This record gives sequence, C-alpha cells and structure tokens, in this order.
Amino acid sequence: MTVIQEQQVVSRRGGWGDGLRRMWRGEGAYLAMLLPLLIFVAAIAIYPLLFSFRISLFKYRLTDPNQMQTFVGLDNYWRAFQDPIVLTSLRVTLIYVAGTVLVEMVLGLALALLLASEGRMIRGTRALLLLPMALPPLVVGLVWKSLYNADFGVIPYYLKQLGVDVGRGPLAELGWAMPAVILIDVWQWTPLLMIIFLAGLKSLPIEPYEAAFADGATRWQRFIHITLPLLKPTLLVALLLRTMQSFKVFDVIYATTGGGPGSATTVLNFHIYTVGMTFFDMGYAAALANVLLVIIAILSALYIVILERQQL
Amino acid sequence: MSRNLWKFFHVLIVGVILLGVVGCTAPVAPAAPAPEAAAPAAAAGLEACKGQSLVLASMTDQYVAAFRALVPKFEEASGATITLDELGYVDLYQKLIADFVGHTGNYDLMTVDIVWSGEFGQNQYTRTLDDFMARDEAELQLDDILPVAWTLGEWQGAHAAYPLAGYANVLNYRKDVLEQAGIEPPATQEELLAAAQALTNPDAGMYGIALLGAKGPAVAQDYMAWVQQHGGRILDDEGKPALNTPENVEILKFFGELFKYAPPGSTDYWWDQRETAFRNGNVAMMEGWSIARAGYENPEISTVVGKVDIAVAPVKAGMEPKYGFGGWGIGINADSTPEEQECAWQFIKWLTSPDIQKEWLRNDGAPIRRSTMTDPEIVAEYPWMPVLLESFEKGDGDYRPRIPQYSIIQDALGTHVNAFLVGEETAEEALAAAQKQVEDNWQ
Repeated sequence: MTVIQEQQVVSRRGGWGDGLRRMWRGEGAYLAMLLPLLIFVAAIAIYPLLFSFRISLFKYRLTDPNQMQTFVGLDNYWRAFQDPIVLTSLRVTLIYVAGTVLVEMVLGLALALLLASEGRMIRGTRALLLLPMALPPLVVGLVWKSLYNADFGVIPYYLKQLGVDVGRGPLAELGWAMPAVILIDVWQWTPLLMIIFLAGLKSLPIEPYEAAFADGATRWQRFIHITLPLLKPTLLVALLLRTMQSFKVFDVIYATTGGGPGSATTVLNFHIYTVGMTFFDMGYAAALANVLLVIIAILSALYIVILERQQL
Repeated sequence: MSRNLWKFFHVLIVGVILLGVVGCTAPVAPAAPAPEAAAPAAAAGLEACKGQSLVLASMTDQYVAAFRALVPKFEEASGATITLDELGYVDLYQKLIADFVGHTGNYDLMTVDIVWSGEFGQNQYTRTLDDFMARDEAELQLDDILPVAWTLGEWQGAHAAYPLAGYANVLNYRKDVLEQAGIEPPATQEELLAAAQALTNPDAGMYGIALLGAKGPAVAQDYMAWVQQHGGRILDDEGKPALNTPENVEILKFFGELFKYAPPGSTDYWWDQRETAFRNGNVAMMEGWSIARAGYENPEISTVVGKVDIAVAPVKAGMEPKYGFGGWGIGINADSTPEEQECAWQFIKWLTSPDIQKEWLRNDGAPIRRSTMTDPEIVAEYPWMPVLLESFEKGDGDYRPRIPQYSIIQDALGTHVNAFLVGEETAEEALAAAQKQVEDNWQ
C-alpha cells in the first residue's frame, strides 16, 4: 500500500480518534500493553549491557582525577586472556560450579522423592527445608564463617571431639576451603531444586506406573525406567538454572573467605570485583564481566537447545 | 501482528544503541576540576552552623561511640544537624570513592584512614584545610598536636584531613601468664618469638601470640607492621614498590614463624577475631592498635580484666626504636557547599579542641594532643597513657605507604602473604608474585 492510499484509508476511517480506537482494539493493543515492559527491558537490560561493552574498549580508571577515557580497542580482552589470575579463577569457578550443581542435583532429587507423599509431618518438613533460601547469601556467609571458625566455631569443636585434626579451620586450609564453601551453597540452594523436582514429580502421569506395577517392576526399576526419563525436562531446567547461578557466585565467597586462602576460592566474579572495586579499573573489569557473560550465554544457549530437542 | 511488534522492538533497540553511541562519542576530555572552594571569609564561630545539616561517614572503630556521644552536644551548641552514618572499613572506602568520583556530595564529613591520605589529597577528593587552619590558627593550638599525628591526612605539604584519632602499634600482654612462666615482657623481636614459643601450650588452650592472617587488608597490614619493626621497607628510595627484597623475604619468614605459635585459625583472622582471641584469654600476647586497650578492662566484652598490660612494640635487636603509627583523620568533602564546609570545619575545630578531647577520649576516642595525654586526670584513668605517648613520639606514620597507590600494594600483599602462610607459595614466590601484581597495576 502506498503512502497516499494509506492516508486515504485513515481519513476514510474518520481521523485520529477513530484510528486510535481501532488500534486499541486491534494489534496496537498488544503494543500498548507491551510498551512498559519493552521500555523496562531496554532501559534495565540492554542499555547497561551496551554501556559495559563500551567501557570495556576503554582504559578507564575511576579514581583517575581527570577521569580520562582512552580508547584501547580490544586490549582489555587480550589482557584478560593473558592474566594468570583469570585462568586460575576460571578453573576455581568451574570446580565450584561442578561441585555445587552435582551435589545439589542428587540431594535435591533424593529429598524430593523422600518428601513427595502428602502428610502433615512431611508438609511441615518441606516448609522448614525452604528456610535457608529465604536468607540473604551474605548473612548465610557470615553465619557459616563463625560456625567454621577454627578456634571458636561449633563445627571444628565437634570435629575435634571426634578426633579430627581441623588444622587452621575449614575456611583457611587449602584443601578444605573449596568443599567448605560448596557445602554452604548446598545447604542454601538444595531446597530450591527439591521444590522444582517436587513440582516435576507431581505432574508425572500415573498410567506408566500402573502398567509397571502390573508387570511386576521393582521400585528401583520404576525409578530408573519411568521417573528419570519422564523427569528429564525438569532435571535439565534445574541444571541450567543452578549452573548459571553458580557461575555468578560472589556474595558467599566475599563473606567467608575473601577468595582465600591464597587463591583457593577466588572465583571469576570475585576477581572482577577486586579489579573493579579495589583497583577501580573499570575498563578491564567490564571486559572480564563480559567474558563471564559470554560463558554464561553459551551455556544457556546450549542447555536451551538440548531442552528443545528433549521436548520434540 | 508479530512483524509490527518486531519492528517496534527493533526501533527501541536502535534507539538504545544510539544512546550508547552518544555516550561513546561524548567528549572524553578531562572533567573539570572540582570547583575551588571559596576562600573562607573572616573567622566564623559556631553560629556559621545554624540551620546547616551535615552527614558524617564514620568507620565503625571504637571511636564511633565517642561520635555518638559528642555529636548531640555539638548539635546543641551550634544549631546544626549532623547525621552519623556508621560504616565498616571496606564499605566506607567504597561509598566515599563513589561519592567523590560521582561528585554527589552526599557526605560532608568523613573519617579518613591514614593510608588514604595520599589518594584523597592527590585527587582533591577532600577539601584542603590549610586556608581554614591559617585563618583560625590562634584558636587551634597546633603545637599541642603531636608531630606524628599530622601524618593523619597530610599529603605533599597540604592537609587533606585533620588529625582525629591517633593509634600506636603496641604490645598487649597477659601479666599473669608471663609472670607465671617467669618471662619478662619482650623488648626485641627475637625475644618476642622466643616468648611466643615458650608460652604456647595448645593442650591448655593457650597460644603465644595472636596475629592477623586473613586474606585481604588484615594480613597485609599486619605483615607491613612486622616489616617496620624489622627495619624493612615497602618502597625504595625513589618511592617505587620494593616488596621482594631479600630483607623482606627474611621478615616474611619470621612472620610465618610467629604463626606457629598463634591460634590455629589465625590465618583466617580479621581484627575482630584477633581481639576476640585475646579477650577470651586464649593468647598471651598481641600486637595491636592502642585504641582497643580500654576495652580489655570492660567486663562486658573481656574475660581478662585487670590481667593486661601494654609495652612499646618490640623492634629488631639493635634497631633504632620506631613504632608503627596509624589511625584516622577527619576530612571535608570538596563537593560540599561552602556553607557546609564552613560548618564542617567548625565541627572539626570544636571536636579537636583540648576540652572536648578529654570527653572524646573518655568515650572510647583516641588522642592526638600532648596536653590530653599528659593530663593528670586522664593519666590516672588510663595508666597506659605514658607508653602511648612514647610510641607516638617515636611514631612512624609512613610504614604503610600513604600514597595514592596504597590499595594496590595492600591487595597484592593481602593475597600473597596469605598464600605463603597457608603453604600455597614460598616466601620468595609470594613476594615476587606480589611485586609483579603491583607493577602490573601501578599507575
């Protein structure tokens, strides 16, 4: 339709007021209703993303009195790939992600199966198990830090009673610090997976179980051959969610070990924080943050593809 | 329909990108320097504060209790309103920097750690106080403030902050425990190590010394204190970082040796946990800031009431005695209005006047004036004042370099000294890695 024709159509319909009314009734309604959300997404998600990409191309130190921003192209990214701390922290992050996600998936599923039936006691237990999730991670970190304290903490106290040598305490020993922070994450986030798996279990059809029962399948066989395959989409969603969250971990590390001892728990996000908030090297920090973003984006894309295949 | 939506969404994205591009092409010329504060007019008194409202950002050190007690008195005397914002060490620094670089002027007054003097002075984050000081010199009794206290805020001859609370690094020890073991309070570092070893008895739950080992500022600052006490240096003659000198490697090994006689959790200790260990009676000795001294006599927080004494911090045998000095200055935001700055200065003047200083000290503040530290009433109440005065007179306020790049040095030492203590790196590797990290980030 040419412009002139279009104008004629509008005028025939009786001017702007009528046009708007039609718009409202028709397709425009979608737009009008989506507008606030679209503006929100653009302002809150897209603009900061572009801004962070922009400053990652500059040498920009916040504490520089002249606030000079010098364009350096991809130098900050190049620097990231040569920075030994980045490589170490990436390795540490992967260990953290693998540790937390694996343990939480297994424990979450076990808890969900255990608490799937109904009953007052079970409902009460489920509610209690959700409590850790309601606490801010920073508070959780501080509480666990005092629980772990080698000299005044409860956990080393009982370990010592059992004859275990706690050395410098769980958070200060090179070999123990990572399992110790993983345990905190497991304590806090396993209930989330339990809830997701519970929802998945509740939505499973009953017929396959009846058939299996008639065929004389054992509990274990029913779990392996019916429950697990049917639960696959739920498992994948949970895996995706927790992996992404785990990759971004910061607060628990900040509150407990500060990335120590040495660099045993310096995850990538904590290193980014140090670069950004201790050195105020904003350009480099933005570049590192974007690297983390790309890693997480690739992971999400991968999982989404897998998820879609599963559903076909 | 969906095509329309897509079109709209694309328009939106293009708009946002444009916004971003506009940001990109914005002139990146140096920002205009902070407006020069108007030269103060004729001497003004407390009446300059009438109707003013200020915000004071304070570190949550012991002296915050003195602020809580004295701020209302100042408000009453002057008619100003002062909101006290109490913040932990890391939070305070980050909030201040955000306020300064954003020129938001939220905080008018702020406590300034001695090690921030260079950064705040160089970048003119805080207003230079020299013109105020020259104008009101007759009232200030500047000679009464101990020379070392001026390192709390002085940078290249100007005053980025005014002395507020002077701390001396002193040796706290348990009189009863040392007496029982027949050990004299150590006067040298060698004696300190020997005493720590002799007094350690894990089966009885007693350790020789409490130290700061936690990754971050804690271990970095404690290590620098030991470097000072052994006559080592963090910067070379040209002011460049020199962390991995053979002397410093030896000092780090000595520091590691001391950890053998510290509570096992020490490599995870921040200041508060070290204090807890001493107050709980788990350790015989502890070097630390003098401001904590009064707390050991408070039965609500201490189990060692009446059992503690202090001595000057031991230095290496044969070394000219010099004692670690630290503490806090108080600064005025360069972005506050001239009226707010005038009132803030009146507050500083009032707070640091000899009369109020006694109140300040009695409410857990820390001294800066010779007259306060030699006041007979004060000495009677705080018998350890003479030791403090001696430490102040031979105080070294620069053992932690008060330069703009301080936080880079602290972060590198904070990571690698901790790595050495937990066995991840050798002393040589740790200091070489710290030196490299500082050089990589040096501006």
